[in-house]
Amino acid sequence: MLTAPLPDPPTASPRRLRAARALWRALSGRSTRFAAGVRQAWRRSLQVRVVTITLVASSLLVGGFAYLIADKITNILLENAETDVRMRLSNGSEYAAKQFNLYSQPQEAQLQDTIDGTVNYLAGGDPAQTSGVVVAITADNFAEFIEPRVSPDVPVRPVIGDELRATVASGKVAHQIRTGTLGGDRTKYLVYGSPVPTRFGQVELYYLVPLARQDATAADARATVVATGVALVLLLGLLAALVTRLVVTPVRVAARTAQRLSAGLLDQRMVVSGEDDLALLAASFNQMATNLQRQILRLEEMSRLQRRFTSDVSHELRTPLTTVRMAADLIFAERDEFDPAVARSAELLQAELDRFEELLTDLLEISRFDAGFAVLDSEPTDLVPVVHRVVERLAGLAERVGVTIELDLPDAPVIAEVDPRRVERVLRNLVGNAVEHGEAKPVRVTLGVDQSAVAITVRDHGVGLKPGEEKLVFNRFWRADPSRARQTGGTGLGLSISVEDARLHGGWLEAWGAPGQGAQFRLTLPARAGDRLTTSPLRLVPADAALPFGGPRDGGLLAIGPGSGAGALAVGPADDSARMEVGP
Amino acid sequence: MNVPRRLLAVLLAGVLLPAGCGIPAQTDVQVDGSVPAGEAGSLNGPPASPPAPTDSDEPVPFIENYLKAAAAGERDQAYTRAQKFLAPEARELLPGKPQTSEVELTVVRLRAKESTPPNNQGTSRVTIKVQQVGVLRADGTLGPPGATETEYVFQLRRAEPAGTGLLITSLPNVLLTTDTALRQYYRTRTVYFWNSDLTRLVPDLRYLPSSVSAERRVTEVVKWLAGGPSDWLESGVTGLPDGTRPINNATGADSQWEVNLTMPGANEGRLARLGTQLAWSLPELTGQLELKIQNQKRLSVDLERERDTHLAYPRGANPTRFSVYDGVIHPLAIGTEQRAVVPLPAAENRNVVSATLARAEDQVLAALVVTGADRRLRLKVGTGPEPVAVFNTSDPKAGFQTMSRPTWLRSLATDHPAGLVAADGKLYRFDGTATLSPVPLNVSGSVVAVAASLDGHRIALVSGGAVYVAPVSVEGGVVTLGQPRRLPTLLTGVTAVDWIAEDQLVIAGNDPDRRSAIHQLSIDGGLGSELKSGIGAAVTQLAGYPGGGGGGLPALSFMFETAGSAWRNNPFDLVTPEQVLDLPAGGRPANPTAPFFFY
Repeated sequence: MLTAPLPDPPTASPRRLRAARALWRALSGRSTRFAAGVRQAWRRSLQVRVVTITLVASSLLVGGFAYLIADKITNILLENAETDVRMRLSNGSEYAAKQFNLYSQPQEAQLQDTIDGTVNYLAGGDPAQTSGVVVAITADNFAEFIEPRVSPDVPVRPVIGDELRATVASGKVAHQIRTGTLGGDRTKYLVYGSPVPTRFGQVELYYLVPLARQDATAADARATVVATGVALVLLLGLLAALVTRLVVTPVRVAARTAQRLSAGLLDQRMVVSGEDDLALLAASFNQMATNLQRQILRLEEMSRLQRRFTSDVSHELRTPLTTVRMAADLIFAERDEFDPAVARSAELLQAELDRFEELLTDLLEISRFDAGFAVLDSEPTDLVPVVHRVVERLAGLAERVGVTIELDLPDAPVIAEVDPRRVERVLRNLVGNAVEHGEAKPVRVTLGVDQSAVAITVRDHGVGLKPGEEKLVFNRFWRADPSRARQTGGTGLGLSISVEDARLHGGWLEAWGAPGQGAQFRLTLPARAGDRLTTSPLRLVPADAALPFGGPRDGGLLAIGPGSGAGALAVGPADDSARMEVGP
Repeated sequence: MNVPRRLLAVLLAGVLLPAGCGIPAQTDVQVDGSVPAGEAGSLNGPPASPPAPTDSDEPVPFIENYLKAAAAGERDQAYTRAQKFLAPEARELLPGKPQTSEVELTVVRLRAKESTPPNNQGTSRVTIKVQQVGVLRADGTLGPPGATETEYVFQLRRAEPAGTGLLITSLPNVLLTTDTALRQYYRTRTVYFWNSDLTRLVPDLRYLPSSVSAERRVTEVVKWLAGGPSDWLESGVTGLPDGTRPINNATGADSQWEVNLTMPGANEGRLARLGTQLAWSLPELTGQLELKIQNQKRLSVDLERERDTHLAYPRGANPTRFSVYDGVIHPLAIGTEQRAVVPLPAAENRNVVSATLARAEDQVLAALVVTGADRRLRLKVGTGPEPVAVFNTSDPKAGFQTMSRPTWLRSLATDHPAGLVAADGKLYRFDGTATLSPVPLNVSGSVVAVAASLDGHRIALVSGGAVYVAPVSVEGGVVTLGQPRRLPTLLTGVTAVDWIAEDQLVIAGNDPDRRSAIHQLSIDGGLGSELKSGIGAAVTQLAGYPGGGGGGLPALSFMFETAGSAWRNNPFDLVTPEQVLDLPAGGRPANPTAPFFFY
């Protein structure tokens, strides 16, 4: 409750203004919240929608019918009153005409007495015992001879309207409802007027019948109709709520069950009660869940068998491979003693065995990931030495292919809770790929950090990636150009393992590339293990990358609009015809 | 309006229901039809044209016009009409009355008019000598005069600008009018009231302005009946129950009339009697008259049939003329009139001075004034079927010097006949046994003549040279007279009286010129007219027939005796001995005397 501020003329106005503003803000905030709540309830609850629609539609309908009924009752009451008064008026007019027919001059002395007597007679004789009906006789045409008479004696002039007087004076029987005060309370009157023909002209007879009883009856009827209508509407609303509840509750149960199912609780089932449609739904749902569960379990089993097979094969291969390796090492060590062709074969054997081992290692790593056995061994690590170590290790290869590796590292240590072995493997993979595909152009490794994340980008200027290949590069055994000769013995699993490593950290590994512009890979990791990533400290698309359409014209604008793919944005030069500028 | 829009309107109306329907506080004027205009025109025929002040600029005619003005029209505006003759400064001398029911006209009979010629200031003075006739009241009755002035003085001046007539500057502060104006602007009407036995209707005389339309006459008659009888008649008749009053005007036309009344204790008998009263009080109307009590239709009266089936009072038989010839009653043969035989045995028909014969149903009532051997007068009464056989004579020891012609009160039951006679200046009642008993009478002078009306409830008598009327009520065979009312007449020394119509008397006396004359006089003295003047000697006997123009006699027929001979009217002529029937052969010649009608 607000209390009025004490009167303080010099400062009252601004204070009041501030108070008003605060109040307005509070109100608007509350109403906005309320509106938002209503909107949310509307959007979320089928029950609210159904009940609201039922209430609105039924109240309109019931209201309409209630209006018609109340109107009809009022009209009937009015018609009855009118018929009654018209009959009385007609009789009264006839009687008055008979009475006045004895006079041929308005100034005849007995005429006034006769008018008095007639008015009293028509009003029921006894002025004290009045039924509220007022009878008046006026003679507008003979005002100088005949005084108007009213029984009971009340001032009726304000209630008889001028328009009615004029109409009656012109020889017409007419009526009107007017509100006025005649003696007692303010009441609605049905005013009926009729000319009374006489030998000397015309006088006017008026009946003023109070409509208090009809008004009260109409009000009663109206109240009853309204009460009935409200009750009916509420009942309908309640009914709608109940019916909707009957339907919605099983649907909600089904939704919850489905959620649990999708969360992996495959043994969740709905309760089937009765034999109705909802029971059928529950039964079907349960059946679907059972089938899904069976299918999923079968697929899981198959997948598990496959992974087990891969792991087993890798392990099983390792033992003979070790033996082969030892033999090959022996042969390789003795190769100088063989003729050159055999020596060359020994070298080849040695190289392929290296690759084979690497492949087996990677396969085992992958199968560990697949089996979910990969464990993160996080510790606070300074990433700068990690980067240096990777670059040093690949310096030989880089030198061999003529690639210079540029480093863009912060001066301060970049500490993050990561598994250094895995991060190093990822970086080695990325830098190795960049050197390998760098086409003798420099490779740039950048380390960025912000409050919540660290990021490392590796940029090369090789052939780049075709559109769509940014995702494919992380597939197992994917090659951009299968015909292209492999310079280094990549297994085709490096990026897949890197992605799994990044994912194990809760981080991202993304690729960007454009044909002829090279490619850039970005590894983003949370600074603290277990945090969620929202942004990356470094851009995925390098600053020197050309825009796909060749860049904006000088001084031109960029148009951003919906792209061809779902959820994609198209960026291009703006049409002069349809330009829209974004203001500062 | 297409359907969706109408639906929308209905739905919107539903939302606005509490404000939308109900009886509106105000609506437009709606016309239900029209009413044809009324028939214009006057009902009254030529309306009364009151004399205007400008009609005369001579003082005496001006005053005469002034005296007419009050009567020339309806009572309500009498003061207004009279005040037109007054100078503005004199108007307060004649203030009006707040209620129209209080407006009373003082009716005078002009005896002489004098005026002084205008003096230098243009003022003149008119003196009128008058006889007070009565006061015309709101209920149409002419009451006895309230004032005693015999002279009124008016002062007049010229109106301004000069040449536009005269104006009254000084005048008596009563609303004066004259009997001639009354005759000119009013019509007499007779209404009927039941006697106290509720067996007969008693006429009561009223005055109604002639400008009142036929339709309104019904209303006026109903008002009069509701208002009760004239004051003087009140003791002899029965009015309507107290509280009876008409509700608005009686309405109708042609042969359909409607009277609405408030009547406490209205029952079948009272309504039937009221119907008879109305039928007789409205003799010119025919057709149906609906009697409503408090708007409830209670009785429908066929006026003509009602008059046929319920006589106001027995009219007796057709009148025949008789006279006394040489002490014996003989029928007269006048023209082609019906002739009769004397319904008395010849033995009783002797020494008759005067006689009255009356029919009551199948009986004949005979009352004879006979001369005894001692030359004194006695009354001989016989009743019974014709011819009357049984006669009784009044106390033989008591004779009278003078005795008027007796009269029968016809209202009495036939087994208790009663009559009145004036003897030796006193009024006596007699019955079938001729027993005379004096009737106390509160009038001065000696009673010389008495006559009962045909209805038997009113008598006229002459006492001390003046005419009186009095109601007679009969209760248990006892005759009681109400307070007699003296009638103003120009005649002095009245000697004889009889009824000549329901409400008219014929009287004989001396006119202002001291000559014997016979006048007709209404029963309230308001209207008098001369029937015969220049009669050589005093009229000693006077007999009229009050039954109107029926039965072969012209209306207003009367016969009289003067100077020992009998006369008749229509036309005026001497009743000659040749017209006397059944004369015995060889009788000595004589004149017929004491003529009378037998009815």
